Amino acid sequence: MSEAPKTDHAYDGIEEYDNPLPGWWKWLFIASIVFSPFYWVYYHNGAKGRSIEDQYGVALAENTRLQFAEIGDLKLDGPTIAKFMAKDSWVKVGESVFRANCVSCHGREGEGKVGPNLTDEAYKNVAVLADIGKVINNGAGNGAMPKWSNRLHINEIVLVSAYVATLRGQNVEGGRPAEGREIPPWPEPAAEEEPAADEEAKS
Amino acid sequence: MDTHVANQSEQPDATDGTTTQRTTVLESFSYDDGIVRLFATATIVWALVATLVGLVVALLLVMPTLTGGLPWFSFGRLRPLHTNAAIFAFAGNAIFAAVYYSTQRLCKARMWSDTLSRLHFWGWQLIIVAAAVTLPLGITQSKEYAELEWPIDILIAVVWLLIFGGNFMMTLIHRRERHMYVALWFYIATIVTVAVLHVFNNLVVPAGLFKGYSVYAGVQDAFMQWWYGHNAVAFFLTTPFLGLMYYFLPKAADRPVFSYRLSIIHFWSLVFIYIWAGPHHLHYTALPEWASTLGMLFSLMLWMPSWGGMINGLLTLRGAWHKVAADPVLKFFVVGVTFYGMSTFEGPMLSIKSVNSLSHYTDWTIAHVHSGALGWNGFMAFGMLYWLLPRIFQTKIWSDKLVSLHFWTGTLGILLYIVPIYAAGLMQGLMWRAMDETGNLQYPDFIETVQSIVPLWWVRVLGGALYVGGVVMLCINALFTWFGRPDSYDVPVYSAPRLTDEYQDDPKPTSEMGDVPMLDSAKALSVWAKMGWHRRWERLPVKFTILTTLAVVIATLFELVPTFLIRSNVPTIATVKPYTPLELAGRHIFVSEGCYNCHSQMIRPIVAETKRYGEYSKPGEFIYDRPFQWGSRRIGPDLAREGGRQSSFWHWRHFENPEYVSPGSVMPSYEHLLTDEMNYDAIAPHVKAAWQLGAPYSDEELNNTAEIAYKQAEKVAADIVAQGGPASTMDKQAVALIAYLQRIGIDLFATPEPAAEENAGDAAAAAAVDPTEAAEAASAEAESEPAPETE
Repeated sequence: MSEAPKTDHAYDGIEEYDNPLPGWWKWLFIASIVFSPFYWVYYHNGAKGRSIEDQYGVALAENTRLQFAEIGDLKLDGPTIAKFMAKDSWVKVGESVFRANCVSCHGREGEGKVGPNLTDEAYKNVAVLADIGKVINNGAGNGAMPKWSNRLHINEIVLVSAYVATLRGQNVEGGRPAEGREIPPWPEPAAEEEPAADEEAKS
Repeated sequence: MDTHVANQSEQPDATDGTTTQRTTVLESFSYDDGIVRLFATATIVWALVATLVGLVVALLLVMPTLTGGLPWFSFGRLRPLHTNAAIFAFAGNAIFAAVYYSTQRLCKARMWSDTLSRLHFWGWQLIIVAAAVTLPLGITQSKEYAELEWPIDILIAVVWLLIFGGNFMMTLIHRRERHMYVALWFYIATIVTVAVLHVFNNLVVPAGLFKGYSVYAGVQDAFMQWWYGHNAVAFFLTTPFLGLMYYFLPKAADRPVFSYRLSIIHFWSLVFIYIWAGPHHLHYTALPEWASTLGMLFSLMLWMPSWGGMINGLLTLRGAWHKVAADPVLKFFVVGVTFYGMSTFEGPMLSIKSVNSLSHYTDWTIAHVHSGALGWNGFMAFGMLYWLLPRIFQTKIWSDKLVSLHFWTGTLGILLYIVPIYAAGLMQGLMWRAMDETGNLQYPDFIETVQSIVPLWWVRVLGGALYVGGVVMLCINALFTWFGRPDSYDVPVYSAPRLTDEYQDDPKPTSEMGDVPMLDSAKALSVWAKMGWHRRWERLPVKFTILTTLAVVIATLFELVPTFLIRSNVPTIATVKPYTPLELAGRHIFVSEGCYNCHSQMIRPIVAETKRYGEYSKPGEFIYDRPFQWGSRRIGPDLAREGGRQSSFWHWRHFENPEYVSPGSVMPSYEHLLTDEMNYDAIAPHVKAAWQLGAPYSDEELNNTAEIAYKQAEKVAADIVAQGGPASTMDKQAVALIAYLQRIGIDLFATPEPAAEENAGDAAAAAAVDPTEAAEAASAEAESEPAPETE
């Protein structure tokens, strides 16, 4: 770089060159300024679909479709829970919901901590399979079990119910002692034909 | 002071060829280096304290039980002490040492008042000690880097603006050097802007001597805080250090500064643009999106102005690189300026919304600020100190080898700190957002994402320890250098003419384009680019200060005023009600314990986030939040929808020992909350302050505060018993905190009271179907037709 002339400034012995602004510096600075109004106009001219909330809406719909397009909106009842207990891939989804929301009270394996053990044969607020869904949806025990109706998608409640139902009888070691009373075993899932499931998906 | 008359030509090369002979007064003066010695010593002491506390908080993350559950030494209370000590004690004193040393020499004048200098020094140390006492006691405003409560804030304003600012300004006015060097411009910008930021972010309504309630709420409070927080970085950790660089780097290298014109352009663009960039700390939050966009765009525009400083620093060393190889002072400066360049590239990058959606709330931010703090601020301060020590103690540095060792230990320490923490940030950010092919969270258990980065936190402890080791070397070297000082310091006397009232500026530069046929405007531009106009400003300190203030204030007004005036920025939600007295008291405990240091309360509209935490946060949910508690780092999970998510008994057990309900948790025990008595009579001032700020409380709540709070506490205690917990918990502090936690984020889903609002009928009907939609409908209505507001 050729040496530019010095200015005639001197402060406590500090001098200054009169070098011009480096070209790349100047042009990057100008580019960053020029870019801004275009970005602004693109995202804030009021066009639909560009705001963060609009984009979130699209992403959420996409995610719901990815998760549940196959099964549609489920009903929270005993037969539905029983049906999904038998489908491993859906029980896994239920497990994921369980791990996100339930482990801090019921333990990572469902062995029970502050909340009851889910791996034994005794239940406090459940008499039949459908009650699992009800307890999760509405809560129980004076708020000891929170209600999840406005936190989880209805399908998530069905699937986590199915997962919880499958935990029964695993009797994880070191779990919380049994509470409540023993209840009859879960019903066998109704024999089901595949086409029926397809129809359901379309609805 | 000796004054004698001499004939002196003030302008050796006057323009018209006739050299003006004037009778000027030649004055003798000496510099006050005693004040520099004081500030330099304080810098070294606080460097040790700040980095040691940093090491402790780093250890607390990997060993949460290290301080044995003592409330004063929990992570939540010590982390603010670490940041405040690093910024205001260590960097602050370093700035003052630099300002007092260089300003006197650049102005050819002693500081205007030795008394004010001393008042400044002791006042500032008093503030630091007050911070070191109040923060561990849990006396905090919870706004990051503005944690200190209002009485200390008033002291800061007085010491900073009146004592320091006054003394500095009067020194400028009484200077004997006609023009102000670029370092002084940066000092001016620092003094005025920090004063403006500090005053406006700390406006509160007091509730007793140790508590103030922010005059801003929710979204506005967040906006003000990050306008402040970001510019604290800009005007406390950047501009004064650039000033420091502009003086000490060319002095140490004995080279002219690379470009005067670059100094001018990058100074003004930096000062003007920095102010706008704050909202990039709030991307994807409930802040209006337009403000967030402004923050991002101005951050991008800030890249080159910031790099202007780096270029001027590094290119000043052209032709002097052989000196860098030999001189540890220059080594510190080179690494410092390089880290400045890295951080100021990374800053704009992190402010890009999509990058920020990954980095926000993670350790990436922590790594970013530490490359700035340890690399730029730390190394610039160390370089300056090693240059100053032999000069102010008038002896050789005790050990040159130890200086070199400090440099290498410190550099290695920085790398061992930031590299694993960058990795930790990326890793945790990616784990939070990872979805499997079925559209579910891949790591739904939050603890799992924490556990995976704990080994990296251990490496950080090692890096931090090395950096502290370097600071210990500095302490030893300074101490032994001080031992070698002379019996009495030599005080050289200088003389220079007093500035005359009249001054002939250089002639207006002409365009070298001369008679070339071109537009007049192009010629005018080429003249403008010679900066003659700016040269004039440089000899007018008052005007320069006013212009700097204007640049800062105008940018601020453009950005802040619309947020406060346009109602659609915060659509009202009919179901959002003020906290009950007990919840307010619980919130006060939440703030005191520093829970916000690890838990955010702000769910962003990102699918992976709403799946983990629940419906994203709306601006209208925070209108009673003074101060806002959105947080900036998720060491633990977000709490914006915590209300009703766990049983009250669960919270009780969790405070007793988090490990019991969350194995692997890094949260410490808060057992003292289960045993400390709740003082119900102390709640009233809090409710009153909130009421004065517009929260609609009934006369009953204002007059019988304790009774009402106690009734709610009994209900919570009854719940705990019903859920299988211990009896008579209503007298303990934990109950208030639990009441608050159970309230967070539930108003959005509450059923609107019938006839509470004229146009809420539709919303109520919708509520029967889906509470989320109801709240959205309510807020949408408020947007289209502003409903009666409570503010």
